[in-house]
Amino acid sequence: MSRWISILWLAFLFSIPLWMIDLYVLHILINTGIFVIAAMSLNLLLGYTGQLSLGHVAFFGIGAYVSALVSLGFDLELTDTYTFVFDAKPVWIAFLSGIIAAGLFGWLIGRVAFKVRGAYFVIVTISFAEVVRLVSLNWIDLTEGPMALNNIQPFTLGIPNLWEMTLYQKIPNYYLVLVVAIVCYILIRRLVHSRIGRAMIGLRENEPLAASVGVNVTHYLVIATVISAAMAGAAGGLYTHYFRIIDPDIFLFIYTVTMVIMVVSGGKGTLAGPIVGGIIFGLLPEILREFAAPEMQWIIYGIAMILIVFFLPDGIVPALKNWWKNHRSKRTDSAEMDAGT
Amino acid sequence: MKTVKSDMSEVLLNVENIAISFGGLVAISDLSFNVHKGEIVSLIGPNGAGKTTAFNIITGFLKPNSGSITYRDKSLTGLAAHQVAKYGVVRTFQKTSVFDGNTVIENIMMGLHLNGRCKVWEVLLGLPRVSIENTRLEERALEILDLVGLSNRASDMASDLAYGELRLLEVAIALAAEPALLLLDEPASGMNPSETASFMKTVSKIRDEGTTILLVEHDMRMVMGISDRVVVLNQGEIIASGTPKEIQNNPKVIHAYLGYGDEDA
Repeated sequence: MSRWISILWLAFLFSIPLWMIDLYVLHILINTGIFVIAAMSLNLLLGYTGQLSLGHVAFFGIGAYVSALVSLGFDLELTDTYTFVFDAKPVWIAFLSGIIAAGLFGWLIGRVAFKVRGAYFVIVTISFAEVVRLVSLNWIDLTEGPMALNNIQPFTLGIPNLWEMTLYQKIPNYYLVLVVAIVCYILIRRLVHSRIGRAMIGLRENEPLAASVGVNVTHYLVIATVISAAMAGAAGGLYTHYFRIIDPDIFLFIYTVTMVIMVVSGGKGTLAGPIVGGIIFGLLPEILREFAAPEMQWIIYGIAMILIVFFLPDGIVPALKNWWKNHRSKRTDSAEMDAGT
Repeated sequence: MKTVKSDMSEVLLNVENIAISFGGLVAISDLSFNVHKGEIVSLIGPNGAGKTTAFNIITGFLKPNSGSITYRDKSLTGLAAHQVAKYGVVRTFQKTSVFDGNTVIENIMMGLHLNGRCKVWEVLLGLPRVSIENTRLEERALEILDLVGLSNRASDMASDLAYGELRLLEVAIALAAEPALLLLDEPASGMNPSETASFMKTVSKIRDEGTTILLVEHDMRMVMGISDRVVVLNQGEIIASGTPKEIQNNPKVIHAYLGYGDEDA
């Protein structure tokens, strides 16, 4: 049943570029897809281990900046006489570097911050994101600061010297984002259905009990942060090489808030939640743009958010699941009653 | 004070002179006792005597100010809770404590954490051994549910269980961690007499399968019914220890529970 739903979903997603000629719509879908990946990565932390990271955009931005810098090459004047020169590397190496760098920072934050929980963890992550933003703004030699890094190479696929394709167009970029999203989804699904995912959920549900049966709290929280940060870094890399320009605004708090809204409205701690929430809140501003004045757009956006949180506090996906369960049990109940009469 | 001879010779747990105070409040002043392999030992005493604090110290949730805890010649003093569990010392909690948002079988599978071996990268790659291990853990979880008599609730949410069932689930989660020494903190509180009676049978069954049990309990019928040995704590000190029969007739114990009567009357 659910297998068929996912196959239909996939078929639908893969078919979109075949019948959707409007390139602007594809652009919106790519942008939404990148944010869905970021939301899925946040969900691993927020939804499964129960830790709210309000600095998640830092990992996204680190992935974006590292990927951009490695693909562009850079030089750093370390002393008066020595300048470190880093040559430009192929985009796929840059992309991987971005993922690894984000993962490393995830490890660092995990080690430092998981001594603290709850509100303190939130504060540590916010500060981290702010520090990274200030660095990107002020280390002008490296990041060009507010002048932005531009002319970033788009992705290149293929075998060097044999056949190569550079992804300038929307359609291949759409497929690239889709494939990365599917890979992230599969990885997260494997993780949460395993013993490791159960340890994470155990920490969310009841930390002392989890520790009492032998779960090493810090260890599993660090694993979750590293994987989550690396995936956010992948989303950042996709962003960089698609938009081909990044500036320190990528670290703005509003992006973290957007990810949190996507996860919470869709249903935190569910696999489909961040996807549903990400699609709704990724597309909503664009749909509203068609017929509402800019001020009205934000008001409607805010109202939609409040309505969801108020009426579906667990999120859309759990609410739908419950509805479906009740619906089915009602049907079987009435069927039994019919059989009884 | 009499010492009780036990035919179970091997000392499993040895608590020596532990003391702890919170600020100015002395919770345990000087506590020593031991548990032999295969025994059911009960730790009893009035409220505030320091029983749960002793549990928290033994299982690594609190660090004692002084004293030592040895388990099979290995020191547990100062280890973190998850390390203590690795040695095979597992506890339950006084306040009902399960994984509320999960099904009963998932609760047990979380308890089976130490039973699994798969690494993160194996899970991410989706190697076949991961799903083999999952199936094995699931089967083991069903066996444990069978032992405590909860198999018919396997796929229900833990939050939907009745109180007595919840208390059984707690014990089942602890059992899943394969304890050699199981510490039960007031497991029968809130159970009705018939639930307590069947719970006593379950505890005896667990002991017969080779698990040593240290019990904190207020239900005296249960304590006197299943314990091999009883240790009585009052105000952070041991005031008596012996077989249930010796304890029942010990004037110090009666005084601790009922206060000093007017002896002239």
